[in-house]
Parts: sequence; C-alpha cells; structure tokens
Amino acid sequence: MATESSEGEEEGKMIGGNQHLVVDEDLREMAKKAAWSVSSCKAGNGVLLLRDDNLDTYWQSDGAQPHLVNIQFLKKVKLQLVVIYVDFKLDESYTPSKISIRAGDGFHNLKEMKTVELVKPTGWVYISLSGNDPRETFVNTFMLQIAILSNHLNGRDTHVRQIKVYGPPPNPIPRQPFQFTSREFITYSSVR
Amino acid sequence: MEAILVDSVLGSLRHFLHRNAIFICERLCAEFPSETNLQLLASCYLHNNQAYAAYYILKGTQMAQSRYLFAISCFQMDLLTEAEAALCPVNEPGAEVSSKVYIPNGAAGHYLLGLIYRYTDRKKSAIHHFKQALSLDPLLWAAYEELCLLGAAEEATAVFGEAAALCIQKQHLHHGLASQNLQTSIEDRNLVSGRNLSSEDVSPRQLKHIHANNLREIPGNYHGAAMSGATASQSLNSGPSSTAFYHTPSPMVAQLSGVAPPPLCRNVQQNGLNPSTVGNDSSPRSTVNPTIQAPRRKFVDEGKLRKISGRLFSDSGPRRSTRLAGEAGANTNPSGTTVAGNGTIHSSKYLGGAKSSSAAFRSVTVRKGQTLANESFDEGTRQEVFDDSRSYISAATSTSTSTSGDPKSLEQDEATMTIGGVITNTSKIINGAAEVLNLLRTLGEGYRLSCMYRCQDALDVYMKLPHKHYNTGWVLSQIGKAYFELVDYLGADRAFSSARQASPYSLEGMDIYSTVLYHLREDMKLSYLAQELISTDRLAPQSWCAMGNCYSLQKDHETALKNFQRAVQLNSRFAYAHTLCGHEYVALEYFENGIKSYQSALRIDDRHYNSWYGLGMICLRQEKFEFAEHHFRMAFQINPRSSVILCYLGTALHALKRSGEALYMMEKAILADKKNPLPMYEKANILLGLDNFDEALEVLEELKEYAPRESSVYALMGKIYKRRNMYDKAMLHFGIALDLKPSAADVATIKAAIEKLHVPDEIEDNL
Repeated sequence: MATESSEGEEEGKMIGGNQHLVVDEDLREMAKKAAWSVSSCKAGNGVLLLRDDNLDTYWQSDGAQPHLVNIQFLKKVKLQLVVIYVDFKLDESYTPSKISIRAGDGFHNLKEMKTVELVKPTGWVYISLSGNDPRETFVNTFMLQIAILSNHLNGRDTHVRQIKVYGPPPNPIPRQPFQFTSREFITYSSVR
Repeated sequence: MEAILVDSVLGSLRHFLHRNAIFICERLCAEFPSETNLQLLASCYLHNNQAYAAYYILKGTQMAQSRYLFAISCFQMDLLTEAEAALCPVNEPGAEVSSKVYIPNGAAGHYLLGLIYRYTDRKKSAIHHFKQALSLDPLLWAAYEELCLLGAAEEATAVFGEAAALCIQKQHLHHGLASQNLQTSIEDRNLVSGRNLSSEDVSPRQLKHIHANNLREIPGNYHGAAMSGATASQSLNSGPSSTAFYHTPSPMVAQLSGVAPPPLCRNVQQNGLNPSTVGNDSSPRSTVNPTIQAPRRKFVDEGKLRKISGRLFSDSGPRRSTRLAGEAGANTNPSGTTVAGNGTIHSSKYLGGAKSSSAAFRSVTVRKGQTLANESFDEGTRQEVFDDSRSYISAATSTSTSTSGDPKSLEQDEATMTIGGVITNTSKIINGAAEVLNLLRTLGEGYRLSCMYRCQDALDVYMKLPHKHYNTGWVLSQIGKAYFELVDYLGADRAFSSARQASPYSLEGMDIYSTVLYHLREDMKLSYLAQELISTDRLAPQSWCAMGNCYSLQKDHETALKNFQRAVQLNSRFAYAHTLCGHEYVALEYFENGIKSYQSALRIDDRHYNSWYGLGMICLRQEKFEFAEHHFRMAFQINPRSSVILCYLGTALHALKRSGEALYMMEKAILADKKNPLPMYEKANILLGLDNFDEALEVLEELKEYAPRESSVYALMGKIYKRRNMYDKAMLHFGIALDLKPSAADVATIKAAIEKLHVPDEIEDNL
C-alpha cells in the first residue's frame, strides 16, 4: 500500500507529504477515461493542469468555498486510493487544509466517504478510500468528488498541482466472476 | 572492350564488389548503350540495395528481362501497381502459351506476380499465379509456401508428384541435350537459340523458359529453384553462389551433381552465348559464370567469348541473387523480402534470408565432375531460394539455348561433355529428381498441415524426415511452431532451442519462440533470446518482437508497445508484429488503437487467427456480443482445433444467451485439449447460469483434480453452495479460495460473500 504516515478515523487526520509517488504494483490509475470538472478556475490554470503529470503547473480555483473537483466515470468502477500533490512551501495560503472525498451516482446523491486534514504538506498525499472491513476495500461508484473545504492560513482560493485516482486492475479475462491464479488457468486463458 | 567491361562487372558482382561493378557498368553503358547493358547496370544497383536506381534505369524498357528487373525494383520500393504493370503488359493476351511468354522468367515471374496480387488483396489471382509458378517449376518452394499461407495449397503429394518428376526430368534431359548440343553441334544450339533469338525481346525470355525447364530438372532440392538459380546465378553472381559452392553436397546432390553441373554449366554458358547472339562475338560462356569460380573463368577464357550478353548475365545474376536471397528470405517471413529475393535484392536478401532459414540454405555443391565445359560446376547450390533459381535456371537455359553465337567456345567446353556422361546423367537425373521430390513432398505436406493448424499430423509428417534434414533450423522451427499451436509450450521450447543450436543466426520463427517463453514466464531466457536476436540483426522485426515480449512479461506495456511498433516500422508486412501491438494496446486499454492494429494484421494475412481472437476479446469487453461471436467464429474456422478459441466462442454464445450452443462448444473444447481447464470452468459457469447446480458442482469437482490450486474454482463452488443454501460447504470452499491467495478484488468479493453467507442472493449485486 502507499506509504502513509497515519491512518485514522473518519475525521481529523493529519497527513504529511511524500516527495515520490509510490503506488502498489497491483493498482491502476482509473481516471484516464473519466470526465473531470471543477467548480471554478482562474484563466490559464484550468482543470487540464490537474492531469498533465507536471508538478509545476496547478489548478487555481476562483470562487467560493468549498472548491470541488468532480470525476465522473463511464461506468461503475472500484476505487481504492486518491493521491494529491500539494506543496505548502510553494503555495502557502493556497494549500488545501481540509479535504472531503465524496462518492455517489451523480451530483444528487453524493455521500461523504472520507475527510482528511493536512498540515503543511509538501508532496504527494495518499488518501485511501478503504474502510476497515475487508468488504470495504473498494468504493464502487460512478462519481467521485474531491471537495476542498478550507485552506491553510485561511486562504480563499486553492492550488492543487496533480490528482491521481487508483483502483484494482480489471479482470484480464472479461466476463469472468473471479480472476485466475494458477499457472494452468492463466496459460490457457489467452492466445497471444 | 565491351566484353572486357562486362566480364569485369560480372567478376565484381561475383566478388561482392558492388561499387566497383556499378562504376564499371556505368562506363560500359556510356560506351555501349544497349538495353542489355542497362539491365546489367540495374542488376548491379539491385545487388547494392539501390532498387530506386534500377527503377529509374529500367523505366519504360520492354525487354522481358528488363521488365522483370523493373518489377523487382518496383516491388522493393513498394510500388506494386507499377510492378504488376511491368509483369503483365495489358496488350498481351493471356493465352496459355503466350502467358509463358509474356510473363518474364516463367516461374519466377509468376511467383512475383502472385506476391503482388497477394499484397494487393487479390487472393484468387495470387493463388492462380502461384500454381502456375509451381507447374512451371515444381521446385519453387516459395510458391508452395505462399499457397499454404493463403490456405489454398493442394496436397504435397499432388504438387510434388509424378508430373513434377517428369517436369524435372524433362528439364534435366533437356539440359543434357542442350549441353550435348552445345558440345556437339552448335547448329542445334543455333537452331534453338536462333529460335529464341528471333526477337530481342522474345529470345531471352524463351531461352530463359527453356532453360528454366532444363534447370528445373537439375536442381534436386526443393529449394530447387534456388538450385537452378544457384547454378545459373553461379555464373552470374559471385556472391551467394560462391558460398554455395562449398557446401557439402548431400548424397542426392552428389548424384545430381553429376548430372546437374554439366547442364547447368551449359546453361550458364548458353546464357553467355545468348548475349552473344545479341551481338557479342566473345564467348557467351565467359559471361555466364562470373559466379562460378575459377573453373568457370577458365571456361570463359577458353571460350574466348568474353562478351557475355550482359543481358543474360545480368539477368541470371540478379536472378540468382534474388533467388538466393529470396530463398533465404522465403523461409523467413511471409514478407515480401522473399519475393524481392527474386532478382534484385540479391545481396540484401540473401543476407537477410540467410538468417531466416539456416535449414533452408542447403547449398549443395555440385561437383564439377562432368562439367561440360572445362569449368566444373562447382556446386549445384541448392538453396532454398526458389524463385531465383528457377528464373535463373531458365535464364541459364535460355542462354544455353541461345548460345548459337559461339559454337566454337562451346564446342571446346562442351567437348568435355560426353554423350556417355549425358546418358548417365539421365538416369541420375531421374533418381535425383525422385529424391528431391520425395524430400519436398514431406516438407511440403508438413508445412501445409501446420498452416491448416493440423499440428499433430504435421508433427507426424516431419518425423518422417531423415535425421540430417530434421536437425536443421527451418524444420526445427516449424516443429516448434506446431507445438506452440498445440499449446504444448514445453515441447515448443525444446524444439526452438534445438533450432537455435542448429542455426544460431536464423531468425525464422524466433518471434513465436519469444511468445512461447512469454507463456512459460521464463523471463531470463526471454531476455537472453531478445538480446541475442538484436545483436544478430537489429533490423529484423523478429528481434524487436522478442524484445517487446520481454517487456510485456514484466508488465511494462508501454515500452513493449514501442518495441512492437518498431518491428512494424521495420517490416510493415509482418503480420504478427501488428497483432502483438494490438495485444499491448488492449493491455493499456486503448481499444480503438487495438482494433486498428488487429485489422492491419488481418489486412496482411487474414488467416492470422490471433488477430481475429484479439478483435473478439475487445468486443467481449465492450459487451458487443454478436460481434464477439462473429470474430471468434472466424478464428475458429481458421483453426478449428484450438481449445482456447472454442472456449471463448462458447463464452460469447453464453453471453448471447444461446446456452445450448455454448455448452456444445465447451464440450468440443474439453475434447480438443484435455489439459485445458478453462472449458470445464466455463461449462460450470454456464450451468450455474442455467441454474443447473448439481451438474455444475460435478464439473467443478472434476476440475479440482486438474487444477487443485486454482482459487477461482473454489470460489465458484462456494458461490454455488451458497445458492443451494449449503452454508457449511460454502464456507469451507470460500476459506480454501482465500487460502489460495486470489487477487485483491477477489479477496474483497469473497470476504463480502462470507459475511453475507446467510443473506439471500438477491440482495447482493457483486457476487
């Protein structure tokens, strides 16, 4: 699992930041084909910069709080991890401090999954979506919303440099209830 | 002066000094502009891999040999329409006889035309021309190979049977006679050549044709064409033939050598002589054999006919080279390189080809023995270059026939040929032809069966080969491919590694070997193979395919994709590279690009069932079940014995709710390959879908024996027990499933199922 400083309860977690993005081998970035939108943005710092793999560019909001980043998927997907790159040293009062992650079928029935509180983060912040129950390892949803409720030093607008969303890889064999584990099954399961 | 220049050019070509040859040839053309000399210049450029130069030189020429060389250069430059126009001028009718006339170089021309039709999607015409080529020259293996790839090959016994034997014998005897004529009566030759030489355009062709016949008989190999070409090319081309000269002849060859060389020699001479008719007074002979080593030179000197009609030489030369190249190439890929081999791409092809089939390249050195002329036909190089040899031989024969020009030289040379020798030759020819055809028959049948994916039969046929042929790179690669199709990856691994030991420089089939290692998950061996292949030939698509497979095994799909794309760039006619690109796109979930790649692969070779399978899988993922079923069915029609394809066809049918048919397919899949556990698992799935719990459980119990460590089996059983409300058993099986370490997603699913064990199924959505 991604290196996390602490895993707490639903509310009031304080998480640092990592310089390097280290994600488990068996997690896949899920949001390449999703529709991304934001509640507001400054000209020249739009939503594209959240996904451009460039840590120098950032999205800057331009409206009232909470600032929202909405991710809508084509079909229901299993999500496990959200990773955000924020940097207090560079962004100071623009750095988000309280983030809430919500999921649901659409704008009308989003339910809060997790809330984290950041303290001067510099780097990648890993937010796991799993619950304690092994049944709840994944969040199965059509839509994810990342809400920035407040910033450091009470800043109004926020800078977010990069966001990535991870989930389990799909079954390489479509239409199978379970994935195959043994050599014989895997060998015979495809033609190359 | 012309003769000296021509001789020098031929000598340079023989010694691979292409730039020298080009320079001298340009002087020759400046001094004595004639179409023959232009042909020689074009063939020099083709030897030097400058097809574009040959293209410009020969554009607009009408002589048969010029048209043939022009077609070769167009083919190499990928200008297929022009190549086709050159080979079949529209104003000539397609009558039986005239077809032999207007398609330059007989069998080789037909073969080249067939390839052009194949790559422009006119399958029927392609098949027709390949069959023509085979009928003109039964030893044109490349044509038979193409027929197999197109799925239209007749049984090898028919193709390489009686008619072929007669053909070869006739050719051979004709050669013998021709040589006799050369030796004894120039008049005969004159007649023959006179006939041939009636018209500039016609004569070379006819001569070639006649020669082709003669030559056909001579070469015993399959690669027969190569042989004839080899001999012919020997005279003309220094390169490959020279090397061929020194191969140890097989017994068959030895037999044939007695027979073959003389006629071939003669042909060569005749080639030389033909040009003479065109106006050289020097002995044609001399021209004929630049490739033949010293002895030939001797011959030439003796003949005093220095001037070899450049035409003949150049013709044979490139032909030979192409042939040689072609052969080499022929065995490697279905790509056009083989074809190119035909004439121009001699050197390049040859080098490239050599890699492809070590086995193929069995040059038999025909001992001079009874060389007609003083020179000894050193070798009846039997190469697998089929096309070339044929054309070459035909050229050679034609030249010989047309050697009316130089009776004297011929007489001198031929004098050595005795009638007695001819008589012995005849019987030897018959024996030799029979042996060659026997060998070709076995190999041809094996190849045909493996192209039809009747792999077990193909393996049985290959087992009948004599040991020395079996242990060659080409045959072992074919055996490896057959095991691969049977999903016996260990057997394939063994066969391919023996193939690598037999011919470490050969790249034929190495892409399949890399896939075998991928399936076996042997990443060390695979990376070693890839490194070796790249260091052998950085410009071969197989090397990059192997490299790509290596990265794909390590799940680095983007780098793997880059490597496969490189392979595609190197040879866009290599269907498997496209398919592998498609697989990587699918792994990266770029489905549109994946579809495009699979479709390109199918455009090149629509019997490539892997691409049909790939398209079916994409449709299955996108839930387009009718399309999925269609694609899997196409794959099934091509390869009806693959249990994997059957299994997926069944899955698609089940998704379409045609469960009866689906079950039937699963049964067939289970029968097709006992070791494949998937059909049984799918069958259980289908039965579960039909609410047939007991049968499903039975099947899964049986499956437990086959694959005791597969967690999904236990998970499915747990699911079924849950539906039957047998909670203890369900719990037990879920527990075992979890113990067997399924993937994270499945762990979650199974644990959720355990929690909700006592909750009726309707509430769950996931399980």
